[in-house]
Amino acid sequence: MSRLWRRNRHWLTPALFLLPGLVLFGTVILAASIETVWISLHDWDGIGAKTWVGLANYIELADDPQFYVSLKNNVIWLLIFMLAPPIGLALALIVNQQIRGMRILKSLFFVPLVLATVTVGVVFGWVYDPNFGLLQLFFSSFGGTAPALLSDENFVTFAVAAAGLWPQIAFCMILFLAGLNGLNDDLIAAGRVDGARGWRMLRHVVLPQLSQVGFIAIAVTVIGALRSFDMIAVMTSGGPYGSSTVLAYQMYQESIFSYRFGYGAAIATVLFVIMIAFIAWYLNGLIKAERSNA
Amino acid sequence: MTTKFAALSTTRRRFLKGTGAALAASATGGLCLPALAQAQEISIISNLSNVQQREILQRLATEFEAKSGAKIVINNMDHEAHKTAIRSYLVVGAPDICFWFSGNRMKAFVAKGLFDDISDLFARENYKDVLGATTSAVTVGDKQYGLPMGGLLWGLFYRKDVFAANNWTPPKTWNEFMAFGEAAKSANLIPISMGTKELWPAGGWFDHMNLRINGLDKHIALMDGKVQYTDPMLTPVFDKWNDLLKAGFFSPNHSSFGWEQAGAALAQKKAAMMDLGGFVRSAFPEADLPQLAYAPFPEIVPGVARYEDFSVNSVHVPANAKNKQGARDFLAYFYKPENLGAFLAAEGAIPPRNDCPPSHDPLVNAAVEELKKVVATSQYYDRDTDPDMAQEGMTGLQEFMVKPERRDQILGRLEKTRKRIFG
Repeated sequence: MSRLWRRNRHWLTPALFLLPGLVLFGTVILAASIETVWISLHDWDGIGAKTWVGLANYIELADDPQFYVSLKNNVIWLLIFMLAPPIGLALALIVNQQIRGMRILKSLFFVPLVLATVTVGVVFGWVYDPNFGLLQLFFSSFGGTAPALLSDENFVTFAVAAAGLWPQIAFCMILFLAGLNGLNDDLIAAGRVDGARGWRMLRHVVLPQLSQVGFIAIAVTVIGALRSFDMIAVMTSGGPYGSSTVLAYQMYQESIFSYRFGYGAAIATVLFVIMIAFIAWYLNGLIKAERSNA
Repeated sequence: MTTKFAALSTTRRRFLKGTGAALAASATGGLCLPALAQAQEISIISNLSNVQQREILQRLATEFEAKSGAKIVINNMDHEAHKTAIRSYLVVGAPDICFWFSGNRMKAFVAKGLFDDISDLFARENYKDVLGATTSAVTVGDKQYGLPMGGLLWGLFYRKDVFAANNWTPPKTWNEFMAFGEAAKSANLIPISMGTKELWPAGGWFDHMNLRINGLDKHIALMDGKVQYTDPMLTPVFDKWNDLLKAGFFSPNHSSFGWEQAGAALAQKKAAMMDLGGFVRSAFPEADLPQLAYAPFPEIVPGVARYEDFSVNSVHVPANAKNKQGARDFLAYFYKPENLGAFLAAEGAIPPRNDCPPSHDPLVNAAVEELKKVVATSQYYDRDTDPDMAQEGMTGLQEFMVKPERRDQILGRLEKTRKRIFG
């Protein structure tokens, strides 16, 4: 045993360390993804036998108006979520100041990150409520009537995405705060000696050092926007009449409520392809950054 | 497997070796757990959201445990989550008893062989004698696959005090209904309180109008996918519904909230009537309950017999249950008239057995009386048609309620879905 171990440990040790992760990744991510693609080529109700239908699910998807609504909403989510990194950076710069009481402010901004997304959704659902919501109270104090945001097919996705944006901003703020703590003091001191302050200091000394963190913040935000689901499930269930669904929610709805696992899997596969493009870009960026650091 | 305490002073290398061994063991035979003793255990999955009913079920289980020596395990699930979970647990890890809905929703599982045939229990306990016509709700091809539970009679609910204060009587005809709507609006009330966030209230409203205009047979033909959604028979239904929408009969922004908030509007005297089942009572404070009253949906086309939505819940023994005999014994105890009566009284449902003690709830008694005048019943939009069709259909009906001008486009879409599902 021990001779065997000694002879092979140079590869056994890393292999054993990697094994649990690989097994988990293999079953939960890889195998599940492959099975999803496989299911998407079938007509399946989730219980009975699968019937091979080839690409029929994808052909139907291409002709499904609901699919384009979801796709459009995913783009809206993406655009709104792109506000999170800059706002997060601005907040991080503000709360990073050495001012009395700033710690309390910092933790207040941190709060939405602690809340479960479902909670955030429920709270915003109340804020938007046309009968007793905060928004309505605000409007009625000016003698107006608040628009019923969650009932309006044109506003609903913006309203839900805005609710999702709140914790996302907090998340970006935390990332940038961590980045600000890691700033190189020598560079800042050198900049000060050269007379840089204010905007020029930020633009030419601080921001370049935050570029890696910024990259991570953007990538995580993109992925967060694409997989948005819980907020929609809680706030609108995709309504009114399906106008706030995104791909992830439509997939859930088709599989779980309409018992069409094949069709749901086809939507999941399309979402997967979109995500893969972003993830490839993300990994590519990470690897590049690692190389330039090495 | 024996554990060596030497492992406590482990090195990284030893730890790795141990991990490797443990992984190998678990991959080969380490997963063999001792089989639990299952002498007499009956497991139940309930979807009850009513706290009182859960307590009564628990009490009956405890009583049965004392009587029979069996052990009963009850798992309560969220009502909505249960609707999706049931499809996996019936296949893998079925309990011995589960709650569900009779009619088409039950048939879907019967067709897949997931519910046990309990005709023997029906014969043993002579249920057909006390259930009468309700037996049909759990019958597929002469065999019974479940026990019918409480029934919900759908109709328009209102507050007696509001109606008395305005000198109103429940509208009986379409013209009276339209006039009532105008009167309600001038009294600053929403004529019909409705919250369509969960979609189904729109489906129910469609049911009632279609039953009053086209009658039961044509309605069921539509539910079974035998009639096209673009069929001219539906034109008057949507025309009349459009009249209501144009006249502002329904709660504004109804797609923002669910039936609970709509029910609260009725209780708070902000709305005049509401289309629901007897469970509307849960939106009312205890003190206001005596004010709540039932009126049937008004007649639309004179001469069409009175058909209503009457949905019946049910309880089943899954085909993959481990203790089918124990399940039958407990169900027989649970289904005794006094036990079932107490259980159903808690939700204000109509007992399916004719020998349950008379209810103390005037609403239930009124519904029982009303039911005697009903010629025949359907269940409910999402219980009568295919689930896939129901999802698309109710979404389309909600869209119609918000954007009636898109009627043709919506019906065209529904017809496309009908064709895909029913061929």
